[in-house]
Amino acid sequence: MHKVLSTLLTVLVAVGASALIWVAANMVFNQVRHQWRRFTAMAFAAVGFLVGVLLSGNRITKNSQGGFLSWVWLPLLLAVIFAAIGVVLESTSDTRRRQGVGVSSGVLLGVGVGLLVRKQYHPAIDIVALLGWTVGGAALVGAVNLVRKRSLVTGALVGAAVGSILGGWGSAAIGAGSAGGAMVATLIPAVLAGTRLGFTNNPNLQARARIEQRSRGVIFLTPAMLFIFITLIVPTIRTIYLSFLDKSSEAFVAFDNYVNTFSDRVSWDASHWTNMFTSRLFIIGAIVLAIAVVVGVVSKRRTGRAVEIGNPTVGPLLVGFFLVAFAVFTSFRGTIVNNLWWVVTVVFAATAMGLAIAVLADNAKNEKVAKSLIFMPLAISLVGASVIWRFMYVPRDTSTEQTGTLNALWVGLGRLSTGSGLPTIFVGVLVGCILLGLIVYMSRALARSQPTRTIVPGIGFVLLAWFFVRYTGLIGDGVGGFDITASGQVVPRAISFVQESPFNNFWLMVILIWIQTGFAMVILSAAIKAVPGELLEAARVDGGTPSQIFWRITLPQIGTTIGVVVTTLIVLVMKVFDIVKVVTNGNFGTQVLANDMFAQAFQFGNTGRGAALAVILFVSVLPVMYYNIRRMQKGN
Amino acid sequence: MRSPLVKFAAVCTVLALTAAACGSDKKSSTAGSTGTTVKATAGSTGGSTTATGGAAKDFGGAKVLITGPERDDPSAGAINAVLQTWGKTRGLDITYAGDADWEANINTQVQGGNPPDIGIFPQPGKLAEFARAKSIKPLADNVTASIKKFWSPDYSNYANVDGVQYGVPVKTDLKSLVWYQPDKFKAKGYKVPTTFDEFTALVKKMAADGGPKPLCVGIESGTATGWPFTDWTEEMVLRQDGGDVYNQWVEHKISFNDPKIVKAMDTVLGLWSKDNVFASGGNIAATNFGDNAQALFDGKCYMHRQASFFSGFFPKGTKFADGSAGAVDVFYFPDINGDKPVLTAGTYAAGFNDKAATMAVLEYMSTADYAQKRQAEQTKLLNGGLSGFLSAAIGQDPSVYQPLEQGFLKILSESKLSRFDGSDQMPAAVGAGTFWTLGTSAVNGDLTAQKAADQIEASWPK
Amino acid sequence: MSEFTPVPTDPGPVRLEGGRPSKGIGARIYGRIARIKGPILWLIVILWSLPTFGLLASSFRSRDAQRASGWWNIFTGLNHTTLDNYRTVLNSKGTASLTDSLLNSFAIAIPATIIPIAMASFAAYAFAWIDFRGRKWLFILTVSLLAIPLQIALIPLLQLFVSGAHLSLPFIHKTITLIPDFNLAGTTTAVWLTHAGFALPFAIFLLHNYISGLPKDLFEAARIDGADHFTIFWRLVLPLSVPVLAAFAIFQFMWTWNDYLVANTMVGSNPDAVPTTIRIANLAGDFGRNEFLLPSAAFVQAFVPILVFFILQRYFVRGLLAGSVKG
Repeated sequence: MHKVLSTLLTVLVAVGASALIWVAANMVFNQVRHQWRRFTAMAFAAVGFLVGVLLSGNRITKNSQGGFLSWVWLPLLLAVIFAAIGVVLESTSDTRRRQGVGVSSGVLLGVGVGLLVRKQYHPAIDIVALLGWTVGGAALVGAVNLVRKRSLVTGALVGAAVGSILGGWGSAAIGAGSAGGAMVATLIPAVLAGTRLGFTNNPNLQARARIEQRSRGVIFLTPAMLFIFITLIVPTIRTIYLSFLDKSSEAFVAFDNYVNTFSDRVSWDASHWTNMFTSRLFIIGAIVLAIAVVVGVVSKRRTGRAVEIGNPTVGPLLVGFFLVAFAVFTSFRGTIVNNLWWVVTVVFAATAMGLAIAVLADNAKNEKVAKSLIFMPLAISLVGASVIWRFMYVPRDTSTEQTGTLNALWVGLGRLSTGSGLPTIFVGVLVGCILLGLIVYMSRALARSQPTRTIVPGIGFVLLAWFFVRYTGLIGDGVGGFDITASGQVVPRAISFVQESPFNNFWLMVILIWIQTGFAMVILSAAIKAVPGELLEAARVDGGTPSQIFWRITLPQIGTTIGVVVTTLIVLVMKVFDIVKVVTNGNFGTQVLANDMFAQAFQFGNTGRGAALAVILFVSVLPVMYYNIRRMQKGN
Repeated sequence: MRSPLVKFAAVCTVLALTAAACGSDKKSSTAGSTGTTVKATAGSTGGSTTATGGAAKDFGGAKVLITGPERDDPSAGAINAVLQTWGKTRGLDITYAGDADWEANINTQVQGGNPPDIGIFPQPGKLAEFARAKSIKPLADNVTASIKKFWSPDYSNYANVDGVQYGVPVKTDLKSLVWYQPDKFKAKGYKVPTTFDEFTALVKKMAADGGPKPLCVGIESGTATGWPFTDWTEEMVLRQDGGDVYNQWVEHKISFNDPKIVKAMDTVLGLWSKDNVFASGGNIAATNFGDNAQALFDGKCYMHRQASFFSGFFPKGTKFADGSAGAVDVFYFPDINGDKPVLTAGTYAAGFNDKAATMAVLEYMSTADYAQKRQAEQTKLLNGGLSGFLSAAIGQDPSVYQPLEQGFLKILSESKLSRFDGSDQMPAAVGAGTFWTLGTSAVNGDLTAQKAADQIEASWPK
Repeated sequence: MSEFTPVPTDPGPVRLEGGRPSKGIGARIYGRIARIKGPILWLIVILWSLPTFGLLASSFRSRDAQRASGWWNIFTGLNHTTLDNYRTVLNSKGTASLTDSLLNSFAIAIPATIIPIAMASFAAYAFAWIDFRGRKWLFILTVSLLAIPLQIALIPLLQLFVSGAHLSLPFIHKTITLIPDFNLAGTTTAVWLTHAGFALPFAIFLLHNYISGLPKDLFEAARIDGADHFTIFWRLVLPLSVPVLAAFAIFQFMWTWNDYLVANTMVGSNPDAVPTTIRIANLAGDFGRNEFLLPSAAFVQAFVPILVFFILQRYFVRGLLAGSVKG
């Protein structure tokens, strides 16, 4: 229990303290508009407190190492002094008087703090360095301000103050100097900063509103940005830097890692690309696309639109596109090709399935149960998922029973279609009856001169007819997992789903689709629920059919959310790592960028190559992100 | 409109104050623990002087963390139990943690500056890499002395990098074993072969007799599919060409597509012909290596060559080497030149720091006492089952091992030539990469042995 | 928005007025599908649950049964079923007991869910409704960080947790400590801090999409009432965003609960802080000898996220927004 308590405490300390700071900041800036004096006092107090924390926290000042109270008294004292300075400064708008206040408080604080510096921290002032840094800083920031068309003087003062700290403390030997040195090194920056303070003015109401507005942006963003900076931006910069270094990050190699990555046959192998045109997929895909074009032309004549949702061009178009795409992806091989293949397939399938389920389940009976079951794959850890799909895909020697579901079906089908028993005949007759039914349906449609109604059943008919012809052995030898040996003997044959390249890639994708459909469903379902009920009700009253309401109202309403899902999935699939790592570890032609990166950086000890792969991954997703964000912002 | 803000702030204040109050408690406790650490360090510095003197020294509760790839309950439990019991006598608080992804993780931990005190390396190649990068420390003199006492150089030399000993051998896997069922052999009148020629003749005879196939082979192993093929190839190189060629091959002093290596691969593929192997031809690559246990047990084949850990894969209730009906036993995978070479694998412990406590633990891990106690403990955790653990440390009490395991030890002690698994010593891109995948392609018949060897050679990192 | 939809859509004008709307062939086909909605849904659901069901069935089968035959044999031979796998998983000790690792998983997943939600909702609100310079570019930068493969951040973050962050200044050769060493290496804190950072781009992206879609009038009305940003955020935005917060919470909880990579890197060598994922991966043992335990272990592990999903699911409700606009 002790461990639980201490963990709980850590969380509480972190969360409580951060929330307190965040809320306090909000409270301080609540005063900006109407309580400028109170705001000034609070803001100055906060700055004073911070300075105090810095000084005593680093044990620079005397009495700062004697326990909790001695640690805290200086920050509190400074907070009070700063607040007083703020109030005095606020009470007057006269520039000269404000400058007086600024300079004198600078002197006061400089002397005070200078006296408090511990002996170990007395700097041995190097006068040349001090002057050099001060003048240099003044010149630099002054020049910047000139360029930005701001006041030269105030810029120079800020630059000089910062420069004098760097010169007085940074470039001096700490602990070798005298109390006087410490005095000089604190007094100069304090006075410079105080003088700068004197140049400010009390803002008018409009300026205060602006301050408030801007400060809210900063307050609301800072926590997230801080985390993002540390956990993402710093590592990214480091990775970019490493990608230009060699294997062990010692020598600079310019773009070698990138050149090697792209010239490597592992990442990009086009040597068999002509296979594409002879592949069955490509030919069928091209035919289907041609049909889609014909149908498009026909329906354009009828409805004025070549492609519309609900119009029968869409199905063939998509099917044709995917067939051709698969033909391309299986002919061009390599890590990069695999990644593209993953993105095209998984993003489309998961989004479409997720949307379909979200719509179908919306207000259905037992909606929660159905959704929970679809969601289940997300909840099962990857270790579990890898076992699950092992039980789906695993092939075994065909003289023993198959333990993989798909192979059991496949080999079973093979046995069925090459057998001659009752079950074989039963299945054959069943398929034949369905085929007959389809023929009757289509001929009725044709008789009523509605040729477009035959398209969907037509596709089904072609597929089923092919199955039937093969099954019955009219052409070929049946369907399913079996081989026929030279001696004419029929031997069952299982498929090694995860090993037979290139389609093993697809079987890996199925796993991710299975998982991510739940993700798409949850987000899209939430969006569908958020479509205002009034809108739907109005459409229903106007006589809209459910499908019209979906396509014309719901879908446009959830458009941005679909955008979010697609974008997230593209990024997620681009980075796909764990499935490949667990199932094949990139062997058998299934390597993808992220796993290659991991292997290079952590297993093969090639840090440079790993970093280059990470950068390639990042850069390749950027256009998608940029495009998408632009769309979203236009949408608003 | 300010009320929610105030309320929220109030809640946060209370939260933070409570937390701070408790937090200060925690701080004091941290201070306390820092105190003990300081004390422990003081103790251990004292220890280093006396430890070299040979007297047992109390380390005052110093913590030693060990990580390694062995992770299942019996293994991790046995390591922890033995080391903790011993640690108590020396005032050491020792923890062992197993990690399924140890080989990738240790890189991250070292680069991130957070390695354990001791790591158990499954691959000498990785150990050498770490030694050259100065991530692990050379062993103290007392540890090397102990290694000399308990281990033959055949084993300890793999953790010797450029003449400096870095690792302690802690576990041995014996690979050159053929599993079989003696009563099946007896029923058919087959004799256990003692030379490789006898072995091939036996395979031929079994195949000609029809019935069960001579060999069970399956090389599917998830992400590591293909590794049993690399083992077979190594066995053949070792038998056909001897230990020196084997070393040259592993160190890439002869190329991977050297005719000798290709010949070894061809021998393996020849033995794995359709007639000889259960798991019809092309399906060797799809047959899980663990499934061979069941197939052998069910009498689908007569023999299966696999390492000593394989006992864990046989079905529940399998009897080993006790002469009963259906019992499973092993014989030595026969040699060609009479030098009785054995192919081994194993793990090596190495220190990421050279604190006296770390070195003391390493010294203990090198002893026969550690090995036999671990064996006893692991057997106990498995309720008397076969542990899968084996150690070639000299001077162990053989009675802690069961009859089958005593057979392993006998084979180890009779061999005159021992070589460590070559694929574990090659660069990971080959040894855990192309050698597996292209080897699998060769087994599938997609590539000839020559072509596979050519492509593996091309993939060797320059 | 049609570019984002998986199928090219052209929503067109909403032509519903005028009694009988024009019915395309497609509309009729889809109309027919709408009628058999239920069966289609359940067909998909069954298909989707089949692998999981196979796993569930396997989890009750002994090692030898799992090796010898397919999971569907559970229907024919119930005599092979056993609870031994669950018993072994729940009682296994190894490097840490299962209860300890479950506690660690909670200690990681709960803060790793709540903290990014808080930070991201602040940021998403700022990006959506507070005007400041560079808002657009900062947002693009933030969201494009989604594309960073998190593996690259593991080593730098581990270094940070091991030794803090130190900046060595050029020219004057002094090192400034930006973040001191809080002794976080090997703790659950290191894991959830990492998760919190990694989650932010997606959280901001998702929440911004939702929060920026809230009706503008709502904010204008509140501004006129004199509400400041904090009040608007607290009183209006948070309650209205409950569905999206719940959705994100579910995912984030799931990812952190099931995460293996980050936990393995950050706690790697500290057996006191290992979450269940690592514990379970270790169960499989060398060469996958005990792989038969994984199905039951997977269900032990998945129990909590499924519960979380059930609990949070009730926040996906219709009409949340509509009610508040009226009120």
